Amino acid sequence: MAKTARSTARQRAEQARIARERAARRARRVRNAWWAIAVAPAFVALLLIIKVAIPSPGGGLGSGELSAATVAALSPPADVLDLVSRGQGVTFPNKTQNQPALTAGDKPEVLYIGGEFCPFCAAQRWGLVIALNRFGSFSGLTGTFSSSKDAFPNTATLSFHGATYTSDFLVFNGVETSDRDQKQLETLTPDQQQLFTTYDSPPYVDAQSTGSVPFVDFGNQFLQTGTAVDPGLLAGLSHDQVAAKITSDPTGQVAEAILGAANAFTAIICKLTNGQPGNVCTSQAATAYQQEVG
Amino acid sequence: MTKVVVPPRMSALRGSTQASGLPEWVVPASLSLSVLGLALSIYLTIEHYTAPGTAACPAGRTVNCAQVTTSAQSMVFGVPVAVLGVVFFVAALALCLPQVWAMRDPRVWKARLGVTAVGLAFALYLIFTEIFVIDAICLWCTAVHVVTFGLFAVVAMATALADLPSR
Repeated sequence: MAKTARSTARQRAEQARIARERAARRARRVRNAWWAIAVAPAFVALLLIIKVAIPSPGGGLGSGELSAATVAALSPPADVLDLVSRGQGVTFPNKTQNQPALTAGDKPEVLYIGGEFCPFCAAQRWGLVIALNRFGSFSGLTGTFSSSKDAFPNTATLSFHGATYTSDFLVFNGVETSDRDQKQLETLTPDQQQLFTTYDSPPYVDAQSTGSVPFVDFGNQFLQTGTAVDPGLLAGLSHDQVAAKITSDPTGQVAEAILGAANAFTAIICKLTNGQPGNVCTSQAATAYQQEVG
Repeated sequence: MTKVVVPPRMSALRGSTQASGLPEWVVPASLSLSVLGLALSIYLTIEHYTAPGTAACPAGRTVNCAQVTTSAQSMVFGVPVAVLGVVFFVAALALCLPQVWAMRDPRVWKARLGVTAVGLAFALYLIFTEIFVIDAICLWCTAVHVVTFGLFAVVAMATALADLPSR
C-alpha cells in the first residue's frame, strides 16, 4: 500500500517536472519570438535616425556634357533606323485638319515645349533629337535627368536649354520652361505662347491635358501632347546605358521605342519638308509611318 | 433558447489547434492579414501594369507613391515588386488556412515561419531603398510592409506558443 503511494507520488513529481520543463521551453520560445518581432521596428527606427542625422548628398545628378558614346547614339546609322522601322510601343502624334502651316522664314518650324523636371519630356527628347539629327545638327545639347521628386524619377535625358539647331530644311525651337527642380528656366515668346494656348487645349487634346508638357507642334500639321515613348522603359538607365541600348541592341525594347518614335517624327518632318532631303525621306525608316502621315 | 451548432469540421479544427496550444485569435488574424496584403498587392500590380504612377496617394516631397512605384527599384530581376507581393501573400494565405494551421507536422510550421520571415526581410530591404535610394515613401507600399510585419508577428508568436511533437 505504502509502496503504491510512493510510486504515485514519484509519478506526480515526474509529471510536474516535465510540465515545468515544457513551460520553461515555451517561455524561452516566446521570449525569442518577441526578440525576433522587435528586430523589424528597431531596424526601421535605426534607418530613420540615420536618415535624419546624415543629410542626403542630393544624389549627384545634374546637367553635364554628353559622352562621345551618347552623342554617337543620337545619330544612329541609317540601316539601324531602317531595321527598326515602326518599332514598338510608339504613340504617333495627332494630325490636324486645315491648320495654317507654322513656318519660320521659308522653312517649316517644329516647336517643342517642355521642362527638364518632366519625365515624359525626358522620354520624348531622345527620339526627337535622333529624328532632327537626320535633317540638321545640334550644338550645345547637354545631358540631364528628370526630377527625383516626380513619377519615373531621374530619367536620363537631354536638354534643349542652351542648345542651338541648324538645318537647311527646317527650323526647330526647343523651349525648356523649368529646370529639374521646377525653377523657371526659359519663357515662351508671345507667338509660342499663342501656339501653346491654341493647340495644347481642346479640341486638340482632351480637357484634362490642357497645358500639359511635353508639347510638340510639327508645323501645325501634327501635334503631340505627352510622350511617344514610355518613360518607364528608361528607368534606372544612365545616358550611356540608353546609348548602348540604341547602338548595340536595336531590336530591344528601348531601341524599338526610341528609334520607332524617331522614325515617326522623321516621317512627319519629311511631310513638312516636302520629302527633303531625299535620301532620308525615301528610306524605309521614313516611310514606315507613311499611312499615318497621309 | 438558440443552440449554436458548430460544424463538425470546424469543431475538429478548433480541437486540434487548441490541442497544439494555439490561441484562438491566430487563425482569423493571420487569414485577415494575408487577405488584406493580397488585396493591396493586387491593387499595386494593377496600377503597375495599367497606369504607372497614378496610385491614389499624395505626391509630396516625402510621401510620393508615383516616385516609388515608377522607380528602377520597383522591379527586381525584371519582375515588378508588386507581383512578388502577390506571390508572397498567396503563399502566406495558403499556409494560414485553418486546415494548415491544424497540421502538427513541424515542417509546415517551419515553412510558414520561413516564408513570413523572408517576406519581412524583403519588406525591410524595400523600406531601406525607399528611405536611402528613392528618397520617398509610398503609402500603399507602407501598408503592405505593415501587414507583412503583422503577419510575421502573428506567425512567430503562434509558432512559439504551439506545442508540437518535436522541434
